[in-house]
Amino acid sequence: MGYALIISEVRRGVFEERNLDAIGIANLAGKDAYLLIPEGNYNINGNMVDKIIKVKTEESMFLNPLIITGLITKIMDSSASPEMVIFTHSSSGIEMASYLAGKMGLPIITDISGYEKNGDIFFKSYYSDKVFGQFKKTKESPLILTVRSGSFKDFATDKGKQAEETTVEGLSGIEERSFIEYVEEEKTGVDITKAEFLLSLGRGVGNKDEIPKFEELAQLLKATISGSRPVVDKQWLPKERQVGTSGKTVKPKVYLAMGISGAFQHIAGMKDSECIIAVNKDPEAPIFQYAHYGIVGDANKIRDKLKDIIQGG
Amino acid sequence: MDILVFVKRVAATQEEELRIIDDGKNIDLSKIPFKMNDWDNYAVEEAVKIVEDKGGSVTAISIGSGESDEVLRRAIAMGSKDGILIESNETIHDPALRALAIYNFIKKENMQFDAIFTGVQSEDDQFAATGGFLAGKMGLSYASMVIGIDAIENGYFVLRRELEGGLQERIKIKTPCVLSIQSGINEPRYVSIMGIRKASKVERKIMKFNDYAGSGDAVIDLIRWSYPEKKGGATMLTGEVDAQCKELLEILKNKGVY
Repeated sequence: MGYALIISEVRRGVFEERNLDAIGIANLAGKDAYLLIPEGNYNINGNMVDKIIKVKTEESMFLNPLIITGLITKIMDSSASPEMVIFTHSSSGIEMASYLAGKMGLPIITDISGYEKNGDIFFKSYYSDKVFGQFKKTKESPLILTVRSGSFKDFATDKGKQAEETTVEGLSGIEERSFIEYVEEEKTGVDITKAEFLLSLGRGVGNKDEIPKFEELAQLLKATISGSRPVVDKQWLPKERQVGTSGKTVKPKVYLAMGISGAFQHIAGMKDSECIIAVNKDPEAPIFQYAHYGIVGDANKIRDKLKDIIQGG
Repeated sequence: MDILVFVKRVAATQEEELRIIDDGKNIDLSKIPFKMNDWDNYAVEEAVKIVEDKGGSVTAISIGSGESDEVLRRAIAMGSKDGILIESNETIHDPALRALAIYNFIKKENMQFDAIFTGVQSEDDQFAATGGFLAGKMGLSYASMVIGIDAIENGYFVLRRELEGGLQERIKIKTPCVLSIQSGINEPRYVSIMGIRKASKVERKIMKFNDYAGSGDAVIDLIRWSYPEKKGGATMLTGEVDAQCKELLEILKNKGVY
């Protein structure tokens, strides 16, 4: 049995929960899980993996694809090659995984959310989850993966024994790319994470001129306005209103999503809402899989009708 | 500063239903409109802004069928100096194959640049791997999820990368380098029909993908398509719009938020 090398994600002293998905797929694929992590006081259940490789270095080195690629290359040269190198499908994960693949000329499949052991088949999202492509590698070689958070964590189980630990020498900075600092998003007056009722808008509302009409509806409903990434990117709504992995994670009593199709980065930020209601033109939109109630229809028409009803009676 | 920007023509499926056909072998895109990949639109804008400020030129390059010429025209209308189509009539799923062809193209044609820009990912396959693979192969420095360029000093970019939950990291990166640009980094300029028409007069070169594909073998293979697993799904409110809306308001009342 071969092993999978898992590159952990750590942020300001925290071992991120999304690492469990990488451990989970290693288990599913029947590989020993070797966890690569910077030395530090991270809270890890050592029974979940077979080996922990600690690197004498600081956290920011694990944000640098050039440095991490150098380290992985060294590990692969000095011991048996892993059969898989697994990253989280996150900002840093995709950066490191693709760089490593190019440097070593290895196959890469990203954003894995499903696996079929029989045939060694990986499922990856296309078109924001409207369809999935099923992939196989075409020749024998280590495979580089990034895994979608939330997909495999249930398969990260206690193995009943403590992982073996080793420490490898530190990494030093390089001139090609260097970390300066973490930057926090500016704090503003609105906090959508505190709202009980969010009226959330997506690209399906059409254009910026429609936004004030939704603000009127929000006022009538006493709801707070939030939105998906494309709406914020287009500057129809300010950044502090963004729901999703790169924005806020929300858990309101009611999440009313209008014109949002439900990319996984968005779903990750709202799936724990108590009640999700979705309005979308496409009956196959992924958001309907997560919603409790749905209406297939035009967000703007539904908006106008809701306003009519409320104002009329 | 000379910047190469890679742009892709993709199916705009947000409001469209996608059908899997031919026993899972293909998806039907015949009735779906196409456009420039959103992320690439931001990448072109960022490159053009830099060149407007610092001088130099932007060259837009697209791998795809002859129809990809439309995204090159758009990139030129936005301010790119020229456009190059690397023509391939087959859909390339493997990012390694795509990046290797770009690598071979850059070497063979002796393309000069200070930076290569790509979008973080394309809306169709969402691999998010072409820029990184290319940088690794070329041995250049790399950053993805670039959400702000704070300074361009001699031989360096100082820029911000988006991490998660509103957290960013600021880094310093040496040129030449590859940067994958995140959506929302800027406000891409409006492109008029007139602008596109004018851009059509700029000559676009056409190259053949096969001349750069090397062995041409993908290292991963898409064997079939499938729909997402159904998770139970929503209770659908049906009937006329009026009835749907009344039912929706009832639900809000029951939940105690209205």
